[in-house]
Amino acid sequence: MTSVRKSQLNRRPWLSTILLYLGVAMMLFPFVWMILSSFKTKADVYAYPPRWIPSTWSWDNYQKVFDTIPFLRYYWNSIFTSVVQTFLQVALSITAGYALTRIEFPGSGLYRRLMQSSMFVPAVVTMIPLYLTVASLRLIDTYAGIILPQIETAFLTMLLMSFFASIPDDLVDSANIDGCGYYRVLTNVIVPNSSGAIATATLFAFLGNWKSYTWPLIITNNTYYRTLPIGMKYLVQESSSEYQVMMAASVMAILPILITFMFTEKQLVRSVTLTGMK
Amino acid sequence: MKKSLSLILSLILLLSLVSLPALAEEEIKLQVWYAVSGTSGETFTELANRWDAANDGVSLELSYSGNSGDTATKVSAALLSGTEPDVALMYAGPLYTGARGDLRMDEWYQAGDFDAEDVYEGMWEYCKFAGKVGAVPFGISTQVLYYNKDIMEAAGIDMSTPPATWEELYEVAKQAVEKGNINNVPDFAGFEVSDPVWLIKSMFMQNGNPVVEVHDGEVVPVFNNEKAVEVANFWKKMVDDKLMPAGEHNNAEKKFLAGNSAFIAASSNRISRWTTTEFGLGAIEMPTFGEKSVALGGNVLVVLTQDERRAAAAKELVAYLASAENQAEFALKTGYLPTHKSALEMDSIKEAISQNPMYNVAFSQLAYAWAYTHFDEMGTMDMLLWTAVNQIEKGAKTPQAALDYAVEELIMEMED
Repeated sequence: MTSVRKSQLNRRPWLSTILLYLGVAMMLFPFVWMILSSFKTKADVYAYPPRWIPSTWSWDNYQKVFDTIPFLRYYWNSIFTSVVQTFLQVALSITAGYALTRIEFPGSGLYRRLMQSSMFVPAVVTMIPLYLTVASLRLIDTYAGIILPQIETAFLTMLLMSFFASIPDDLVDSANIDGCGYYRVLTNVIVPNSSGAIATATLFAFLGNWKSYTWPLIITNNTYYRTLPIGMKYLVQESSSEYQVMMAASVMAILPILITFMFTEKQLVRSVTLTGMK
Repeated sequence: MKKSLSLILSLILLLSLVSLPALAEEEIKLQVWYAVSGTSGETFTELANRWDAANDGVSLELSYSGNSGDTATKVSAALLSGTEPDVALMYAGPLYTGARGDLRMDEWYQAGDFDAEDVYEGMWEYCKFAGKVGAVPFGISTQVLYYNKDIMEAAGIDMSTPPATWEELYEVAKQAVEKGNINNVPDFAGFEVSDPVWLIKSMFMQNGNPVVEVHDGEVVPVFNNEKAVEVANFWKKMVDDKLMPAGEHNNAEKKFLAGNSAFIAASSNRISRWTTTEFGLGAIEMPTFGEKSVALGGNVLVVLTQDERRAAAAKELVAYLASAENQAEFALKTGYLPTHKSALEMDSIKEAISQNPMYNVAFSQLAYAWAYTHFDEMGTMDMLLWTAVNQIEKGAKTPQAALDYAVEELIMEMED
């Protein structure tokens, strides 16, 4: 930022404040609308001009969510599969990223290129072959069938690789001199120095897993194993969807995301800040 | 001696008691997937559970399989891996039976298992692949033309003699745009359609173009001939004269329900769902270019299991669900159409019509509802038609060029 521009902003702090508040309002608006709509009636939802405040405040929509779908079952399934999947994805990505950046082994370059290429293949292309594999392993309608096929992600591995590569060699060499092998270098040097990146990767992974719809739908037939996105899709009718009910379900559905973000926010901001400083 | 004999006889009796359950036939558990949600899903499961309760020896495992596209993906994957459901309620069912050489549904149809004579002929056409029945019609609908009575009143339009042709509708919609914008919105529409591909296929047929033809067993797309281009030119005129917005069909129903469209062509199943509009809602039969015709759409029942015993039970389930009484009950609760001619004589149907005259509109159209033959690339055809409609509406291509391109691409796909 030039010094001229900086001084202009310093002279008009109200301008930057207004701009920031506008940005905040734009980002918050969908959430506020979602929460308000979750208390509205169907007539309120379709009213024109748009009705901001519900005509009557009622928890009926929330009750209807529980009456229409086994919401708590789906919620638990989503939490369980998302947490386990995220844990496995991050663990695998850490070890793979470490190996690819810090260890020279035959074929590492080829593996890296193959992994990068896999990011260009749309998920739908591999869905049926993957389904056939899972079916042959008799993992249809199981948590393992939902989780295991999705634990490898090139995106997370590459995200972590970029951070691992930036850790000074001197740190690793010092650890080696102190007698640390690959495992202790990973746990005592790499991971502690990449906490921000790992938090970011965890957030991305959890977000993706939480909203995953197609794979859990294809792999499960039994309601017992279904996840929340499938349940929420059931609330969508072919016409005049009960948007107010969907909004109520959505408010309840984003709570784990908000909690995850709250726990990882500090690390996320720190990692972004450090990246900028570099 | 007597003691030994008694012991032996007791052992024999005990063994026979233990083996009886093993000898008795195992209960059949049928997997049933359905591609309908909300009220339709609830009604379908209610009917299925009723059959389940009345049939000892067979139990049902019901599973919502997502929307049409998701269900197609699921069933395709399941058929490849041998984990297919026994019964499915899905779109384009014949592509998963007749197209794969499974002609059992046609055999049952020929044997009279599904009240063939009582079901509308057009609906059986909707269930055929290469001339053979591959499914049983169940959740079937046509498009109906809904209108906003408040807008008509404001515009001074008398709907007691509704527009019967598209030219007449054009004039009425124009009047509605000029005088009926009661909410004073900048994007008021005289006419909208939520599924333009479905509508344009009906319009092609009305003008004498059957969309596809079958020549020596080969399906040939014909929706780029002179008759089809006439329809496309009219479509473009509606957009150019600001009666219908370009490329906003995904938003069409929300806009209509907000009171900002005069007319909308939408599925007949909206009759039972749009019951709490903030304006007076009416419906009329679809206008026509020449011949009265409306294209059928919706879900059908298929039996996929290859196991004979399971297939026999599945056939019974399908026959139950698709019977005149049960299917009529499903139709009334969900807004889909009754598939049996005899349903129109039922007290429940007559009462529904008297309570809501819009049902009469939907049921009247059954007499001239039609369907083209199923073929493997019909999904691709719909996608290409959607693109063509977009190109025509936005002026990216002329109607002839857009339809020519769609036909050429479809032929290439079919030849691959």
